[in-house]
Amino acid sequence: MLTAIITGLAMGAIYAAAALAYNVMYSTSKVLSITTGHIFMISGVVGAFLIGGLKLPIVVSLLGSAAAGILFGLITEIVAIRRVLSRSDEHLWLLSTLALATIFQQAVGLWWGTEPKPFPRLIPQQFTSGIWDQKFWLPIGTVAVSVICLELFYRRTLFGKIFVAVSEDAFAARARGLATDRVRAISYGIAGLLGGVAGFAAGQLTYAYFALGLSLTLNGFIALAVGGLGSNLGAVVGGVVLGLLTSIATYYFGGAYQQTIAVGLLLVFLLVKPEGLFGDKRTRHV
Amino acid sequence: MNSNLARLAALVIAVVALATLPFWAHDPYQVHLATLIGSYWVLVAGLNLVVGYTGLLSIGHVGLLAIGSYAFAILAGQHGVNPYLAMLAAGAIGGICGFVLGLPSLRLPGFYFAMATMAFSMIVSEFLLAQDTLTGGGAGTSVPAFTPPFATPNGLFWLVMLIAAIVTWLTWNVARLMWGRAAIALRDSDVAAASVGVPVFSIKLIVYTFSGITAGVAGSLFGSLQSYVTPETFNFELGLFFFICIVIGGRGAIVGPLLGTVVLTALPEVVAPLAKLGQFFYGALLLLVVLLVPEGIGNLFAILREKIRPRRLEKHVVDPDLARLTSAIRSTPVS
Amino acid sequence: MNSNRNYRALRTTGGPSQTVPSASARPSSQAAVVRRGELIAKGVTRRFGSVVAVDSVSLTVKAGEIHGLIGPNGSGKTTFLNLLTGYYRVDEGQILVDAEDLTAAPVQRRPHFGIARTFQKPRLLGTLSVLDNAMLGGWEHAQSGFLETALALPRALREDREQRELATELLHGVGLGNILQRQANLLDHAEQRFLEIARGLAVRPSFILLDEPAGGLTEHEIEQLARIVITLRDCGIGVLIVEHHTDFVFRICNRVTTLNLGKMIKHGTPEEVRNDPEVIRVYLGA
Repeated sequence: MLTAIITGLAMGAIYAAAALAYNVMYSTSKVLSITTGHIFMISGVVGAFLIGGLKLPIVVSLLGSAAAGILFGLITEIVAIRRVLSRSDEHLWLLSTLALATIFQQAVGLWWGTEPKPFPRLIPQQFTSGIWDQKFWLPIGTVAVSVICLELFYRRTLFGKIFVAVSEDAFAARARGLATDRVRAISYGIAGLLGGVAGFAAGQLTYAYFALGLSLTLNGFIALAVGGLGSNLGAVVGGVVLGLLTSIATYYFGGAYQQTIAVGLLLVFLLVKPEGLFGDKRTRHV
Repeated sequence: MNSNLARLAALVIAVVALATLPFWAHDPYQVHLATLIGSYWVLVAGLNLVVGYTGLLSIGHVGLLAIGSYAFAILAGQHGVNPYLAMLAAGAIGGICGFVLGLPSLRLPGFYFAMATMAFSMIVSEFLLAQDTLTGGGAGTSVPAFTPPFATPNGLFWLVMLIAAIVTWLTWNVARLMWGRAAIALRDSDVAAASVGVPVFSIKLIVYTFSGITAGVAGSLFGSLQSYVTPETFNFELGLFFFICIVIGGRGAIVGPLLGTVVLTALPEVVAPLAKLGQFFYGALLLLVVLLVPEGIGNLFAILREKIRPRRLEKHVVDPDLARLTSAIRSTPVS
Repeated sequence: MNSNRNYRALRTTGGPSQTVPSASARPSSQAAVVRRGELIAKGVTRRFGSVVAVDSVSLTVKAGEIHGLIGPNGSGKTTFLNLLTGYYRVDEGQILVDAEDLTAAPVQRRPHFGIARTFQKPRLLGTLSVLDNAMLGGWEHAQSGFLETALALPRALREDREQRELATELLHGVGLGNILQRQANLLDHAEQRFLEIARGLAVRPSFILLDEPAGGLTEHEIEQLARIVITLRDCGIGVLIVEHHTDFVFRICNRVTTLNLGKMIKHGTPEEVRNDPEVIRVYLGA
């Protein structure tokens, strides 16, 4: 049972990271990108490749994963978002990010293979460590640190405050001379960095698996919906709730209905409290 | 008049060619492929109203196809129900599932709805795997054929063509009459739609339910064609494929998505290297279309023609005809 | 139909008319439309957070009358229009059409009570033709259900034809008769505005609410707009014009209401309003 809880927390941390990534990208573009989960997936695969395939040192591989994450975050913005936002069609970005996500997933599938491959050990540790295994604590620790860094970034740094400005009123920000395009690109890069580091840390739990992207996109979204769009606290809470719920349910009822339970949670929230636990209701303007 | 006559002639030729396909095809595989395209089109035609007209991003529609196939397999195969009744039942079940899925999801913003349908398709997969006494689990289940005269491959081909023709006619009617305009209004400006009294939610739900019915029927045909299905058959990529056929073919049209379905299904068969790339190719194609020709390739010709020989729009000065305006307004009987 | 139209055109007089055209002129297949007398807002209030955008405003739009609503920026004119048409819920007050209370009615229900509107920024279906856009307005009067339409039953076909005929006449009436088949996203600004009016008229409304219809129009186009609006009044439709162009408003309106900071500051004939010291102060000071 304890293992179930720890597993739930660890998976919850990953979902929370995905929800955070959604938030970061949404804040400057008002877009929820389907590529969110795929950035994590790519970093995990790249990390496994660098350590296992190229036999590079852990730290270098971490940097490589982070770089991959940033790169794919930027690609998302430049390819799928930038050109599309200027068009009047509201749903075009859904299609473009969906297309890009498919390309990411299939390209990785073609290159890396469609079987989940184990991610190498990062810290020397016995495989019998049970609940103290690093595959649980690496993601939990990494995401916790990431959340703190993100909050500090938004509150303490000038850049972070620029972000907040752009997210609250892009038009006014542009009027004051802020290059919203560049800010948006940077925010996607930050989301990519988050995905890169978290994907690397979580690799041992999730395995390096090409189909992880879609699953993480969906589960990250569930965490986001539960916690509330726009709230980082909500992202963390949502992720933890989702992780624990599916893990404990799996413990009692077996893993056959894992996705169903997760979606059940989503449905409950969307019906009862669509803005999530910490989100804000928005009025529409005509 | 001339172009209408030309269109009618093209339609007649196409219909005759299709009807006689088993006789002039080179080998049975081509008939199989044509039947496959036809069964896909039964689903895509209904989905077209949802995605291409109403603008709902149902990326997980494959779940309804799976439900249709398995319902048909279970009713007709395991319980010996008459296959035609089973097909109708599968359609009905597909409609009910579409309704139940749509009820909570259609009120949500676009991304949320897309995720909900994706989640639905994953739930269906889980369910099919888990309920193995009913569905055969991961090993799958066999799907029976129809009764003569539709029992042979050629017979099935004609059955599929018949149903495809009916569904095409139904969706064409919806598209060209007032419902089609209302649907496009929901896609492009639900503010405008509401301002003229279009009941946003109920229209979406009705159209979505219809697409569930066509998916259920398509599932029966598809399953019977494949004669054996597993949960893997209905993976998310297949759902994405249907979606891509519509977007690439062009939203707001019937012919575009039809051509899209034909071309995209046949392409990997004809161009061998593409078969290896599979979904990667579809994703890349979708991205290109969305970035370069968002109106769809169906409209590509019109766009190219505009580029090559731009039609000068005659400068037009608004000049009201008040007499006609008055009589138009007054022609409304007043109670 | 042709000879009837010409005959009735000859019979057209100037004043507001509630008279019914002779029974022989009525197309027997069209359902009768209820013509209503008054659209009434009573003490309507709407707040956004701590800002009172509309403060207890009462106003009546009468059939066969043009009512102008003016006020400086931020006075709450468009918000009030959105309250009348249901895009915002009122916090206090009532909205009635004759004796029927609409206050709780959702947006898509308002055309049922004879209310049509245009938008400050035209909302058209860009990929459809001018004619199709205007025909959309006839939805309220198309009774055919989904199944009827799918099966192309006679009533569905007939209703489509009727809407086409009405829309064609209306489009000729507002001056767009030469471009019926043009794609709506190729229209210039004035054409878009007049198309929205035609679409609104296809609703066969008792009241049409125009949101800054003169915005961006040339002198000539404003003149055409004025002639159209006066014709609408003479046919017995009640018109509410929210406008910045005070000259335009004073010239054609029967009554004018002035808002400032959400409150009504003057209501009366154009003469009374334009000479009111408070109105002058608000406009010159603004």
